[in-house]
Amino acid sequence: MRKILLTVILVMAPLFAFQALAQDRTVTGVVTSSEDGLTLPGVSVVVKGTTIGTITDVNGNYSLTVPGSATTLVFTYVGMTSQEVMIEGRSSIDVVLEPDVLGIEEVIVTTFGTSKKGAFTGSATQINSSKIELRPITNVTTAIEGSSPGIQVTAGSGQPGESQSIRVRGYGSYSASNAPLYVVDGVPFSGSISAISPNDIESVTILKDASSTALYGNKAANGVVLITTKRGKPGAGQLSVNASFGLLTRAQPEYELIDAFDYYPVMWEAYRNAIAIPGVDDPAAVTAANQSATDNIFGELRYNPFNVPDDQIVGLDGKLNPDARYKGDYEEAVDWLGALTQTGQRQNIDLSYQGGTERTDYYVSVGYLYEEGFIIESDLRRFAGRANVNFQATDWLKTGFNVNGANRELNWAQTGSSTTFVNPIRFTRGVGSIYPVWELDPVTGEYVLDDYGKKQFDIYDNRGAGASSGRHCIAEIRWDQDTDKTSTLGGKTYLEINFLKDFKFTINGSLDQRFYYNTFYNNPLIGDGAPGGRSYKTYNRRNSVNFNQLLTYNRLFGDHRVDVVLGHESYEYTYNYLSGARTQQIADDNTELINFVTITRSNSYEDNYTTEGYFGRVNYDYDQKYYLTASYRRDGSSKFAPDNRWGDFWSVGVAWRLDQESFIQGLGFVNLLKLRGSYGQLGNDAGIGYYASQALYSLGWNNQAEPGIIQDKLAAKALVWESNNSTDAALEFGLFDRVFGTIEFFHKISKNLLFDVPLPLSTGVESKTENIGTLFNQGIEIGVSVDAVKTENLKWNVGVNLSTLKNEFTKLPQKEIIDGSKKLMEGHSLYDYWLREWWGVDPDDGAALYRADDVEAASVRIKGNDTLTTDINNAKYKYSGTAIPDVWGSITNSIRYKGIELSFMFTYQIGGLVLDGNYQSCMSSGTYGTGYSVDILDRWQEPGNKTDVPRMDASQTSNFNATSTRWLTDAGFLNLRSLVLSYDIPRNIASKVGMSRARVYISGENLFLINARKGMNVQQNFSGTTSNVYTPNRVVTLGLNVKF
Amino acid sequence: MKKNIYSFVFILAASFIFSACSEEFLDTLPTDGVSDVGVTASTGTAMAALNGIHRDLYVRQAYASSQGRVGLSSWMYHIDEQGEDMVFNYSTWTTHLRWLQRGATNSYGYAPWYMFYAWIANANVLINGVGDNTAGSQDEKDIIVGQALTYRAFFHYQLVQQWANRYVPGGGNTQPGVPYMFEATTEGQARETVAQVYTYIIQDLTDAIALLDGKPRKNKSHLNVDVARGIRARVALTMGEYATAASFAVQARTDYELMDSARYSLGFSMGSEESGEYMWASQIQEDQTDKWGNYGAYISRNFSSTSIRTNPRSIFSVLYDQIADTDVRKLLWDPTGEHLNLPPGVEIVSTAQKYPYTNQKFIAVSTADSRCDVPHMRVSEMYLIEAEAEARQGHDAEAAAALYPMAVARDPSYTLSTNTGQDLIDEIMIQRRVELWGEGQRFFDLKRLNLPLDRNGGNHKSSINGSLMDVPAGDTRWTSLIPQIEMDANDKMVQNDL
Repeated sequence: MRKILLTVILVMAPLFAFQALAQDRTVTGVVTSSEDGLTLPGVSVVVKGTTIGTITDVNGNYSLTVPGSATTLVFTYVGMTSQEVMIEGRSSIDVVLEPDVLGIEEVIVTTFGTSKKGAFTGSATQINSSKIELRPITNVTTAIEGSSPGIQVTAGSGQPGESQSIRVRGYGSYSASNAPLYVVDGVPFSGSISAISPNDIESVTILKDASSTALYGNKAANGVVLITTKRGKPGAGQLSVNASFGLLTRAQPEYELIDAFDYYPVMWEAYRNAIAIPGVDDPAAVTAANQSATDNIFGELRYNPFNVPDDQIVGLDGKLNPDARYKGDYEEAVDWLGALTQTGQRQNIDLSYQGGTERTDYYVSVGYLYEEGFIIESDLRRFAGRANVNFQATDWLKTGFNVNGANRELNWAQTGSSTTFVNPIRFTRGVGSIYPVWELDPVTGEYVLDDYGKKQFDIYDNRGAGASSGRHCIAEIRWDQDTDKTSTLGGKTYLEINFLKDFKFTINGSLDQRFYYNTFYNNPLIGDGAPGGRSYKTYNRRNSVNFNQLLTYNRLFGDHRVDVVLGHESYEYTYNYLSGARTQQIADDNTELINFVTITRSNSYEDNYTTEGYFGRVNYDYDQKYYLTASYRRDGSSKFAPDNRWGDFWSVGVAWRLDQESFIQGLGFVNLLKLRGSYGQLGNDAGIGYYASQALYSLGWNNQAEPGIIQDKLAAKALVWESNNSTDAALEFGLFDRVFGTIEFFHKISKNLLFDVPLPLSTGVESKTENIGTLFNQGIEIGVSVDAVKTENLKWNVGVNLSTLKNEFTKLPQKEIIDGSKKLMEGHSLYDYWLREWWGVDPDDGAALYRADDVEAASVRIKGNDTLTTDINNAKYKYSGTAIPDVWGSITNSIRYKGIELSFMFTYQIGGLVLDGNYQSCMSSGTYGTGYSVDILDRWQEPGNKTDVPRMDASQTSNFNATSTRWLTDAGFLNLRSLVLSYDIPRNIASKVGMSRARVYISGENLFLINARKGMNVQQNFSGTTSNVYTPNRVVTLGLNVKF
Repeated sequence: MKKNIYSFVFILAASFIFSACSEEFLDTLPTDGVSDVGVTASTGTAMAALNGIHRDLYVRQAYASSQGRVGLSSWMYHIDEQGEDMVFNYSTWTTHLRWLQRGATNSYGYAPWYMFYAWIANANVLINGVGDNTAGSQDEKDIIVGQALTYRAFFHYQLVQQWANRYVPGGGNTQPGVPYMFEATTEGQARETVAQVYTYIIQDLTDAIALLDGKPRKNKSHLNVDVARGIRARVALTMGEYATAASFAVQARTDYELMDSARYSLGFSMGSEESGEYMWASQIQEDQTDKWGNYGAYISRNFSSTSIRTNPRSIFSVLYDQIADTDVRKLLWDPTGEHLNLPPGVEIVSTAQKYPYTNQKFIAVSTADSRCDVPHMRVSEMYLIEAEAEARQGHDAEAAAALYPMAVARDPSYTLSTNTGQDLIDEIMIQRRVELWGEGQRFFDLKRLNLPLDRNGGNHKSSINGSLMDVPAGDTRWTSLIPQIEMDANDKMVQNDL
């Protein structure tokens, strides 16, 4: 049906014989910037009150044919204050535009359209390409961090190609997804953001409140990130080249771990204390235990890095043999981190050219990126191209095509799972400092060389039990393979018809495809593939098709402007999966399945997800003082049962430009004063299964040759959209031409939470998805920017933004739900810790003490007024703070002196707690072979010791090292997130080689971090826990940006 | 004219905007699952749902997924690890060895609790759904429902042994047991008394035996009447109802044959279908394997997993020393750990660590293929149940006679036991411990007999088992704590003693 309609439109098109407007005369001129005197390409020049207009060319020149009745020309340009100039019979008009310091005139991209910032009733932040282009970022999500209050971003991964997670205004969902909706060029995006070259991005707009997101009502509950790619500007055309080269290192240091000289005595003590504790047990037993520990500790640890006999490494006094020195090559060979890490290279070259005529514009780019991680064998190679062409066929018909493709090859560092043996972060942190990377002669400690005289990995199964014996992260990362080859292909086209003067009808169609091909290979010598070797091949294909039709009406009635949009949208997503695996490799260096013998997996499936929506919006303003926006959207989702799949979403927003009122204008120092507010209801269906409403049995449970199925999930026919009711109020101000900012308050209530309600496990069903529970997020967001110095040559701008967040459940399906280290309860947040309460260390015997739950139990000890226990099963739980910070934000500085510009941004966080599981794993009371934090040196050693580190005792690891409030650590931090220093080569020099602009720059990311514990990754996730992830990288690049 | 055209465009635009996609646009169906509707519509689909349970006994569980939680096979060696006869040589995967699974938040506690109840829920769909409205023959229906009932009884039996205080033979057994789930529900149920749980188990087994009697089975991954009777015998033994135990053990074993010592010396590997020794076994195909999680990936001697290379499982040396030198089982553990007498074609990788008393009872297909049929029930156990049951009734002659066929099959030099009373019981228990090593019995034997855990005097190392060398009989630790997740979601649930 839709196809037929499209054909009809095309056939009918020639019938619309719009008459060309009478020509009268031509006005020409050049537009320059008052800021630097440079010409401005791409300035829009329009005859006031008409649609007649043009755009300045690359040299800032314009030429426009205007009707005789024309009186005024309007010049507008992003970042500059609009100017209206009377023609007064002139044929040459040169204009100097002033920078728009307040951003009131800035055009921001909104849902299904654009708006001037001053006229916008919603809450949005836009990041323009100038903020992106000089930063060595691989993924545009990086640019979002610190850009706006109200947004939280995870630290991201050092793995090249990985993106950062984003939360807009807290966490509005529980079982459903909290991630914002990504929209690229007007179409909801299901591909990988990292496939988009940041250099192709014109702007990123983050929409935070209901009024600004309501037209994406169905998926906008957690905010929207709109990405707009570049398009050409009419003119002679321009070629830009941006090339950079950088070095990449680890941004956050490793935890401080003890060396071999401390290692042996600590482990000796763990062994001895498991038998007898000095000062507590019978001295004779302690003497015997000392002897046993001295005799046997080598047997537990199994490597002796010292030049003393195996049974004399630690004396009966528990001290390292004073004669002990590293033997042979030991000192060098135990450096796992050194063997794992590297200084990565980053090379990036982006080339783009753009231009246009009055009727056509084009933008074409190609980009190449190669980035190595700081862990060996991890890298990304990306080749991306884009072409965006728009064609004004007649003055009422416009069409365009935006096509992009990217090819991405990514080698993973095997950090995907925190607990897998071969995770190199876990491994190097968790391996005791006495174990060599390389095979050493056990007697001499010298390298055992192979036939070619090279060192060999120590891949034997003989480390202590806590040291991942039988595994070797360096050997495995070298010999294994985990490679993604991803191709993305996207195309978007539209047809825009203007009719009846004020109407416009647009049909948009888009196709996004992503082809993913992964090779996962394990070598036959060591690890999961040994012996024999194994290979997995996984292919998947994502295909999304989006159609929308928009009818817009825009009209000015005197001082009243009305702007209406009506639309229909459909979205269809298909996911195909195919995977196979085989074991027993035949020939070396070939990971293809045909090179293996036994099939262990062969599987495929397809998922489908569809949505459809109808929507409408009315924008109204009176005299550019009073603004009103109202919108409505009705959506259906295939995830819900037919009777419940449609949801209704709406919003209302108002704004009042007080600065346009005479009583404010009279004050003189007020540049901008705007009050705005909005309320609306948004939906969410993300993060629940594609078939959430259906009761299913899983296929794939065949028993030998017989078919088999097993219960998968219960029906949830009553499931409906999760809804998010959002209130927003803000004051935007600009004073003294210098200070401008926004103070904003929001309150979001999430109702009908899509909630995987935990069922009693004894029902045989783990959970059931229901719409139950309510929570709210509320916060204050402040952003202030000050032009501290504003002279002709020197400009210095300082910006600060800060946010607060309160998150609280007001209704839950159960009185309480324990979820890992958190407990959900009415009156508490999603991320309030619920942990066993640590009390401290008993000075008498060094035992770890927790507050007791059952005060009658045998394990109970009384200390003063406290009833305590040594038994972790009897340790009492309590609410213990939250992972949500008190305040977070960023501080930016931009200093410009002539052609030199320095800008840098700090991100910070105050308050909140981290549950540092990584640190906990380095503080065991006695796991033979594992790595230890230097804090273990503070352990209890004899009665009377006052410390918060319990005694070493290998028999008590589960009690002494349990998860408890002991591991909560302040989450505050300050991070120098980015710094850019650029220099504009003087124009007269650049122009000699034909360049219109040339810049050299140095740029760095993650340059400096302070927090409560060296090695701790505060921003790893929003819930405050730490695990063995690929920590963020530090990038320093040198780049050149030229335009011809 | 122009106005008409404008109107036309307007109507066109409006019709576009308000034209819905087709009715089916928002209807989607999965391709990797099937609707639950119709599972019991025919015996064909019902049998597929039953096979799903059979398969899940050796599948890595989706809930709290971990390589050490592969269905019933993991459960079997974990139960043995909680006893004294399974010895570790290295401090890895020591949760059960150290009895840490007991904790309410320990994943090795809540994962199997859920696993058994999930299987029970699957069985209940068949028990309650297969009936007159199900297409298929009555025999097929009986086979399906009979097997589902056997499973329901068996899984509750595992649950009540681990999560409730022991059944005291002759006692009132009013201590809290576990909820007995009869039907699909999302409501938490209260704990039945231990006595009540056993009453229900017996009822289900009685019904199952009636339904399965005389019915064939496809292979030994399916349950038949003999398996139901074998489980009934186990249950009676736990309850101290020895005459019943002996009777069911005898009935259960008639169609099976003890392995000869030549075959036995090769260890337990594949081939359960052909061997008369096996009564019930999971039989794993090449493409249905969990390389690192299979039973054989933990308990065999020859598969090259880190778990086996670094921590090959040993027998308690105190027990080993009591095996007669002429007994073929003496060959299944090597006191030197060198394993120079491996069965033909079996090899151990050179990097494997060597420890005394390690087993070669279980043999995986190869160093690269961890498969090994999972022996859920073997006929020798039936002889042992009968012998023990007779001995505990004071029927020494009958007990010695019952033990003899099994004992002599293992040791050609064995002569009819002349032991009486406790000595005879002790002899039978030694036989039982040796015979069923690694097959998920010892911890439950200690618990049912109210014996202490005593790991002293042999090759247990306190540095590995977390100094858990002794646990007195009757200690609260013999009973696992109810998973905290269950406590949180089920108002009717009562916790065990901390």
